[in-house]
Amino acid sequence: MRILVVEDEKKVASFIKKGLEEEHYAVDVTHDGEEGLALAQTNEYDLVVLDIMLPKLDGMEVLRQIRSDGLDVPILILTARDSLEDIVGGLDSGSDDYLTKPFSFAELVARVRALLRRRMKEKTDLLEVGDLTLSLSTHRVKRGGREIELTAKEYGLLEYFMRNPNRILTRTLIAEHVWDYHFDPSTNVIDVYVNYLRKKIDQGFEKKLIHTVRGSGYMMKDEP
Amino acid sequence: MIFRNIRFKLTLWYIIILGLILTSFSTFLYFTLSRSLYHGIDLKIKSIAEVIASSSTNPYSHYSFSTIDRMLEDSFGLKPVTKFIQVLDESGRVGSKSENLQHFQLPISLLTLKNASQGKVTFETTKAFGKYPLRMVTVPVIRRRRIINIVQVATSLEEVEEALRTLWLILWITVPSALVVASLGGLFLANKALKPVDEITKTARLITSKSLDQRIRLRKTKDEIGRLAETFNDMISRLDRSFKQIRQFSANASHELRTPLTILKGEIEVGLRKRRRLEEYRKILTSNLEEVNHMGRIVDDLLFLSKADMGEVHLQKKPVDLAQLVSEVYAQAKMIAMRKGIHVQMSNDGDVAVVGDRLRLRELLLNLVDNAVKYTPEGGEMRISLERNDQQVTLRVMDTGIGIDPQDQPHIFDRFFRVDKARSREAGGSGLGLSICKWIVEAHGGEISVESDLGKGSMFRVTLPPTPPHT
Repeated sequence: MRILVVEDEKKVASFIKKGLEEEHYAVDVTHDGEEGLALAQTNEYDLVVLDIMLPKLDGMEVLRQIRSDGLDVPILILTARDSLEDIVGGLDSGSDDYLTKPFSFAELVARVRALLRRRMKEKTDLLEVGDLTLSLSTHRVKRGGREIELTAKEYGLLEYFMRNPNRILTRTLIAEHVWDYHFDPSTNVIDVYVNYLRKKIDQGFEKKLIHTVRGSGYMMKDEP
Repeated sequence: MIFRNIRFKLTLWYIIILGLILTSFSTFLYFTLSRSLYHGIDLKIKSIAEVIASSSTNPYSHYSFSTIDRMLEDSFGLKPVTKFIQVLDESGRVGSKSENLQHFQLPISLLTLKNASQGKVTFETTKAFGKYPLRMVTVPVIRRRRIINIVQVATSLEEVEEALRTLWLILWITVPSALVVASLGGLFLANKALKPVDEITKTARLITSKSLDQRIRLRKTKDEIGRLAETFNDMISRLDRSFKQIRQFSANASHELRTPLTILKGEIEVGLRKRRRLEEYRKILTSNLEEVNHMGRIVDDLLFLSKADMGEVHLQKKPVDLAQLVSEVYAQAKMIAMRKGIHVQMSNDGDVAVVGDRLRLRELLLNLVDNAVKYTPEGGEMRISLERNDQQVTLRVMDTGIGIDPQDQPHIFDRFFRVDKARSREAGGSGLGLSICKWIVEAHGGEISVESDLGKGSMFRVTLPPTPPHT
């Protein structure tokens, strides 16, 4: 899952990025409203964390433009403005959630999870494909009751697969949702990681879950 | 309760004073009139008695005692019907009487007889007959040291007593009714005068710290009440302004403290979410320390300004060698600026003294120099100059930094105003430095101003009054 953080205070942006990456999200950070809007318009983010008081372009303006462009990406406003009018104004202008600074990081992560779950129309914390399960809050992955150890990137990749079962995922889609904007699409990094994941998930099992769709990309499905 | 009411108090005082005046006036009138009436009667009966006495001793007189009435008619031109007259011999026997005394006789006491025998005139009031008392005079007629006759003349006091009684009645009716009318009038006037005060009270009661936008409706007249309302409105405006300032200030202050707090909380929380390498912990703690220091600076500056606002910052004013102070700060500035490769210059007139607080002036200079370094890019230039003339000491800190937008220039001395909040925070500023500079300069009776070209640089100018010649 790929998240955009628009936050002008560099240290705040930095710990949010670090913390979210440790939660296996791909995170892009920008410090001003103009760049934030441009990134949100050109990339398919799964979530935007947006500050209000931003240089160059105010956060509320960024929010309005994203919505008037017809983008329905979930937006979480993260700001020091805590008056009732600000909160109501922020939510009414099209944001999906509002969190005031100083905030608890655990709460931010829980809200991010809730927003992503709602977007994916999932009701619970547990993703399931066949006998493979993934817990979004504890990050534990099991197949046939046996726990599987994954690295952060492998987890991010698997989560994306499991959120989109029975759907062809192109390398571009995978890059957009699992890697941040420093990713170089000319390398074969995606194929390498998909292979790592196959070894851990499918090796030793009769039924394979990750399938290669020749010429297009990959697909996760329960049926052969 | 009713005595707390100013209109009743006013009316009460009004009535008391008016009552005292009316009562004393009435008393004075009554007694003066009564005295003059009685005195008039005494004069009259005495003059009649004297006429009779002189005629009774006149050897050439044609009159006899029996014709007293006619004699009086001749002397006074009219018949004194209301006067009772009788003439006695020296032993007190009645010789002759006026016609109206046919059935009575005037009394004569022993004391009066004794007085008469000693040649003294006696006035007395007796209740001999009739409804009203009589006023009577007894005059001895002396011839060759011998008392020949005693003349008694009396008159009824009816008219006098009636007149006084009528006056008494009139006063008893008019004074209280005058007081009643006056109190109603007084109450009406007090009401009329105090009604606008009630309006002011009503408005004032509605005003709280949250509704300071209300005002008293001003009357057109510029009388005392009008001025009171105007003064009151002015006061509310001032209160409104200072409330807004305080609210703005505390909102700003809490926002300023919230940023480092967010960073501290976030970094520590993320740091604690999993086991990390020692190097990572060191990095987190270093950053935390930076934020704690930053918060410390904000709190110090806030405390200084709120103390300054309450007049609790006292300057230790002594003669200060400003030239030497500038040299000291210059040396320090060179060290700070060297790290950024900024070239610092100083022009110093030498021997410039002012009266002031050396520590605060040093803080002022350091703040200005620090700002200049912060906002000047690497390889830029900075200049400190000090000069004096007869009127003032002028201190300038110039830089070739990023400059200040003309529309921001009027606000840079405002508390928490920041041209670029991220840049200022990263440089470790509290957003209060220039406000403190302004306070220090003004506390020394000087002025601070800025001239700036966006992208070219800024110049801060401080002018201070020079040392007066006698110190």
